[in-house]
Amino acid sequence: MSIIEVDNLTKYYGKARGIIDISFSVDEGEIFGFVGPNGAGKSTTIRLFCSLIYPSGGTAKILGKDCFKHGPEIRREIGYLPSEVFYYDRMKVIDLLKYSASFYGKDCTKRLYELAEIMDLDLKRRIDDLSYGNKKKVGIVQGLLHQPELILLDEPTAGLDPLMQRNFFKLIREENEERGATVFFSSHILGEVQRMCGRVAIIKEGRIVKIEDMKTLQKDNYKKIRVTADDVDEKRFDVDGVRNLEKDNGAVSFFYVGDINVIMRIISEKEVSDVTIEEPTLEEIFMHYYE
Amino acid sequence: MNIFLRELKANLRSLVVWGGIVILFVSIGIAKFSAYEGNPEMLAILDQMPPGLLAAFNFDAFNLTTITGFFGVMFTYFALLLSISAAMWGSDIISKEERDRTVEFSLALPVPRGRLVTAKTLAATVNCIGLLIITWGVSLANVAKYHPDSQFYAFMSLCMLALFILQMIFLAVGVFLGCAMKHCKRSSSVAVSLLLGTYFLSVVSGLNKDLDFLKYFSPFRYFDPAMLLHESRIDVTFVWLSAGIIAVCMVGAYVSYSKRDLYI
Repeated sequence: MSIIEVDNLTKYYGKARGIIDISFSVDEGEIFGFVGPNGAGKSTTIRLFCSLIYPSGGTAKILGKDCFKHGPEIRREIGYLPSEVFYYDRMKVIDLLKYSASFYGKDCTKRLYELAEIMDLDLKRRIDDLSYGNKKKVGIVQGLLHQPELILLDEPTAGLDPLMQRNFFKLIREENEERGATVFFSSHILGEVQRMCGRVAIIKEGRIVKIEDMKTLQKDNYKKIRVTADDVDEKRFDVDGVRNLEKDNGAVSFFYVGDINVIMRIISEKEVSDVTIEEPTLEEIFMHYYE
Repeated sequence: MNIFLRELKANLRSLVVWGGIVILFVSIGIAKFSAYEGNPEMLAILDQMPPGLLAAFNFDAFNLTTITGFFGVMFTYFALLLSISAAMWGSDIISKEERDRTVEFSLALPVPRGRLVTAKTLAATVNCIGLLIITWGVSLANVAKYHPDSQFYAFMSLCMLALFILQMIFLAVGVFLGCAMKHCKRSSSVAVSLLLGTYFLSVVSGLNKDLDFLKYFSPFRYFDPAMLLHESRIDVTFVWLSAGIIAVCMVGAYVSYSKRDLYI
C-alpha cells in the first residue's frame, strides 16, 4: 500500500518556483530519501504534505486521503521534524511536549519520557535557554512521541553532534523496523541518505530528475577502477565506456560503464600489483545529475 | 481547550501591562477632577473656547464640575485605550505564530485552522473582558470619595457596555487583519493605524453637520456618551451595525486563514 502518493504536484510562490510536476509514491514501511541542494524544493514538498501551504496544481495523498481536504486527520498520523525548529520560547520543554501530546487523543507520556531519555534531553529547561542542537532534540521528541505512521524528516541532523546523530539514526531505524513506520527523509547530506534509505528521489530546481532503488542507482552506474602496476600504460585502457582516465604516481584510475568482463581482460593482460573496483558514492552519482 | 489555555497563559503578561496603564490613567485622570469639582471659574474658561473644539473633546455635553460629567469626558480616552489593546491583541494572537516562526509547529498539529482561530479569539476576548473589569473596578474605587449618585452608576454601567462592544469590534478587526494579511508582521500596526484613523474621523464628523454621515464609519461615534448619560440608553442601530462588523470580520478571518499559505 502506498503511504504517500504524489501526482503532478506543483507549487509556485507568486512567480517564484517551488516545485513543478512532481510525481512519486512511497510504500508502507519504506525509508525514502529525498535528495537535492538547498532551494531545490524539498521543504516545499514536505510543507505541502502537512498542508501548511496549498498547491498550485496536482494532488498529494497520504494514507489514501487528500492532504488538502483531510489535513487535520492526516496530521494526526504524521510526525514532522522541520529543518529549523521554533517553539514558544517562554515554555518549559516538558510543558511544550505535553501540550503537543494533548492533540493526539492518546496517552503519549511513556513514549515522551523514553524519547527524552534516548535523546538525552533536559525536560526542565525553558525553550529560549536551549542551544540550536537541543531545540532540535525537542523537535525529534515532539515529532515522534505520538508514534506516527509516517515520519517526515527535513534535514534532520543539522545541529546535532555526531553522538546524537547516531542515536537519532538508530531511533529512526527502530521506528521503521519495529513499528513499521514509513520514513520520508529529505536531506542534502548524501552519506546519511545512502546509509538509511532504500529508495531515493533526486530533485533539481523543483523537478524530480531520478527515482531509483539505492542499490540499482549504484549498480547501474559506473565503477571507479584503479590499477597499480610497474610501468603501466594508460593507453591500453582507453576503450569504450571509460571516462576520466588519469595517470598518477604509477597508477591508472578511471570510471567505467559496460561489460565488466571486457575491462577485466584488459586489466589482466599484463602483470598488475593492485586493483580496486569501487561502487560510486551517492555523492558522485548526485554530482552527475547536477553537472 | 488546550490552545485556549496556553494562549491565556501566554497573554497574561500583556494583560498585566495594559492593566497597569489603565490603572495609572484612571487614577491620574480622576485625581485631576479635584481641580474641577464645584469650580465655576473652570466653566467660565471653557465657555470662551470655540464650540467646535469643545465638541471634539465632548466638553459641550457635560458639566465638567460634576463627577458624572467628568467621567463622560474620560469615556473617549477609555474607548481609545481599550480598543487599541483589543486591536493589538486580536492581530497579534494570530500573527505572532508567523512572526516567531512557530506556525510550522502549531499548524502541523492535528488541529483544523478554524479551531485555532476560535480558540485564539476566545483567549483574546477573555483578555479584553479582563481589562474592562480592571477599568471598571479602578474607576469605581477612584470615584467613591466623590460620593456619586445612582444616576452615575447607571451611566457608568452603560459606558462599560459600550466599551465592551467597541473592544469586540476592534478585536474582530485585529483578528481579521492577522488572518488575512500576507505580511502578518504589519498587521498590528495596520490595525492600530486603522483605529486611529477612525478616531480622527469621529472627531472630524463632529465638527460639521455636513460630515455627520461619517459617523457610520467610525465606531467611536457609535456610542455617544452624552446620549448614554441623558437618555440612559444605547442606540440599537449601532449595536446592530457593530454586530455586523464583528460578524463580517470573523467570517473573513476564518475564510482567509483556512485558505492561506503560511509564511514560514
